[in-house]
Amino acid sequence: MTLNTSDTEVNEDLLAALLDRLIPAVGELPPAGQMGLVPEIVRLSGRHDLFHSEFANFMISFSASCPEFESLSGNAQDEAIRAFESGSPELFSTLLTISYIVYYKDERVHRRIGWSGRPPQPDGNEMELWDESILENVRNREPFWRQV
Amino acid sequence: MTSTNATAEETVDILVIGAGASGGAITAWLAEAGFNVKCLEQGYWQNPSKYATASPDYEFEMLTNWAIDPNRRRRNEDYPVNDSNSPVTPVMFNGVGGSTILWSAHTPRFHPSDFRVKSLDGVADDWPISYEELEEFYDLNDEVMGCSGINGDPANPPRSPRQMPPLPLGKDGEKLISGFEKLGWHWWPSDSYINSVRYGEGRDACNFCGHNHMGCYQRAKSSTDLTYWPRALRCGAKLETGARVRQITVDGSGRVTGADYIDSKGTEKHQNARAVIMAANGIGTPRLLLNSVSEMHPEGLANSSRLVGKNLMFHPFAMISGTFPEKMDTWQGPLSNIAMSQEFYETDKSRGFVRGYTYQFQRSLGPAWIAKGGFRDPVPWGEGHHEELEKRLGSVMALAVIGEDLPEEHNSVDLDPELTDSDGIPAPRLNYTLSKNSRDQLDHAIENARTVLEAAGASDIYVDPMMRQSGWHLMGTARMGNDSTNSVVDRWCQSHDVDNLFIVDGSVFVTGAAVNPTPTIQALALRTADYIVTNRQDLKG
Ligand SMILES: Cc1cc2nc3c(=O)[nH]c(=O)nc-3n(C[C@H](O)[C@H](O)[C@H](O)COP(=O)(O)OP(=O)(O)OC[C@H]3O[C@@H](n4cnc5c(N)ncnc54)[C@H](O)[C@@H]3O)c2cc1C
Repeated sequence: MTLNTSDTEVNEDLLAALLDRLIPAVGELPPAGQMGLVPEIVRLSGRHDLFHSEFANFMISFSASCPEFESLSGNAQDEAIRAFESGSPELFSTLLTISYIVYYKDERVHRRIGWSGRPPQPDGNEMELWDESILENVRNREPFWRQV
Repeated sequence: MTSTNATAEETVDILVIGAGASGGAITAWLAEAGFNVKCLEQGYWQNPSKYATASPDYEFEMLTNWAIDPNRRRRNEDYPVNDSNSPVTPVMFNGVGGSTILWSAHTPRFHPSDFRVKSLDGVADDWPISYEELEEFYDLNDEVMGCSGINGDPANPPRSPRQMPPLPLGKDGEKLISGFEKLGWHWWPSDSYINSVRYGEGRDACNFCGHNHMGCYQRAKSSTDLTYWPRALRCGAKLETGARVRQITVDGSGRVTGADYIDSKGTEKHQNARAVIMAANGIGTPRLLLNSVSEMHPEGLANSSRLVGKNLMFHPFAMISGTFPEKMDTWQGPLSNIAMSQEFYETDKSRGFVRGYTYQFQRSLGPAWIAKGGFRDPVPWGEGHHEELEKRLGSVMALAVIGEDLPEEHNSVDLDPELTDSDGIPAPRLNYTLSKNSRDQLDHAIENARTVLEAAGASDIYVDPMMRQSGWHLMGTARMGNDSTNSVVDRWCQSHDVDNLFIVDGSVFVTGAAVNPTPTIQALALRTADYIVTNRQDLKG
């Protein structure tokens, strides 16, 4: 099955298989490829031309380097990924980046790790005031900037 | 180099190129003094309520449409910079407010010794001005930008009361501080141009969202679109956005007459002016001067010394992080505005290098940022991924090292023979290598950072010995001096070659000190404004 981004087709099954190996199951969550994250990866990567072309390049290069990936065993898939990672670290980093971003913006993941999950704005965070007595030692130090 | 087919505009007294930190400051001050000032800015106004931190996609936006590196961001108003000959990539923002839109707003001052490195340490050159001459302008700038902080730092000369109390240190900040306290090393809460309480026009207090390097939704972080620009516009200054300057034009005697630019609709235009002030930053300014070749200035404008573009300084920047056993909600509070240490700031020749460095304390952000690595390698994929993420989230803190780079002529900005921006204007190219002195500083700082992080209870120390994406401080490429054969501008930031051309961005720095430069850049711009108001009424029409 393929998903169409503006000018490239992404092999959805290959991407899901990769995600399964990158971010394995944990607790009640299945491996990332089985969480339905692929369309979001494709959507987001299309929001920036440079990133989009890097991502498309990754998909093309990876499937060329390992056309049989989906039929390999888990261990063999890991080996294939590692071989690609060491040969093309920058391309691989594109996949890792978008995979991590999309995984860690998913509400199910937020619930599992106890992350509030909202964007930083508009609510921000609360911070406590601090006690100036913590400055006592350093405040009592003689000035040590160099006089000229 | 008189424009022929460009549309001519009225003659203004002063034309400022660039609406960033320095451009905003000098435009406001000259407009208040009654000069007819216009600024050309290639970028646009930003709307804080549209900043990406309010979007669920903010983590993706941070790496793409809001990336700090213009070569990645690639907005139409950005220009490419060839950085393939440099271990450091330049980072900046092009728009009203300039790089202050994305900056951290950590705002220490130079030390008095920073202006006297030749006399004190026998290296580089002394500045033609002193700390004392700049002090009143530092104070003025603090007032306009709004400084949170606390007086009494023994590593610095006493200074006027800060406008606001310091930002919170946070549990995480106090944890790092405990290491410095154990070793008896200096630390002090950072001065920051971030509101700890309401301050300025319509500017709220910081709500500790943590992402001030993506533009401040709350308007708590001071950027010149929120501070100097409203003031400048009220005093009648004009600001044209989407206006990219191609070259500065001159008359037959070599004096500047204005600038050729491309407006937001793509029309070639010319702006006449009695004087031009360059405020396009340490890369944008030498690029424009080198692009402004004429019969009178065959090597580029103001370049009889051949030093335009030379002596590029960054701050050598290393990042040392550690993981603490405690969970400290490290994403709460501005990323880089906790405290700093200047224990190793001043020269001690027994260390094997001259000059010194500052440590700037750093937090870390949320799970996607942590997974991608933040200041470290990414969290490994596959088996063990979840455990490692869990270990790092909320527990990683770091020390950034800001070292003092010394000027070297071979470190430079020149014009790329092929690369151009979207208007076909030749793009800048960087040529930079890290000197041995800078490397020795960083290595010393890395060892001490390890010691202090461990003293604070961190383990799993990770060292990035020189961060690549760290070209935020762009200095030295049109340096100041008394002698026209070895400097580009004089002590008032006026070109030695052309008496109606001034440069007020970080290009004029003689040396870079070991602190974030912007308060010094802005203080210099205000001082130049003061000089023009007092001594150059001839520039008023
Ligand atoms: C991520 C980040 C973090 C930072 N953190 C700090 C910090 O904590 N503390 C600190 O002191 N400094 C920090 N800085 C650096 C600080 O932002 C700069 O020192 C400061 O903004 C430089 O001011 P400037 O006026 O020289 O240039 P800028 O603010 O960069 O403005 C230059 C302007 O000129 C315009 N321009 C350039 N060429 C042209 C042209 N041909 N035509 C028209 N317009 C043009 C640009 O579009 C831009 O808007 C940081 C920077 C970044 C990017």
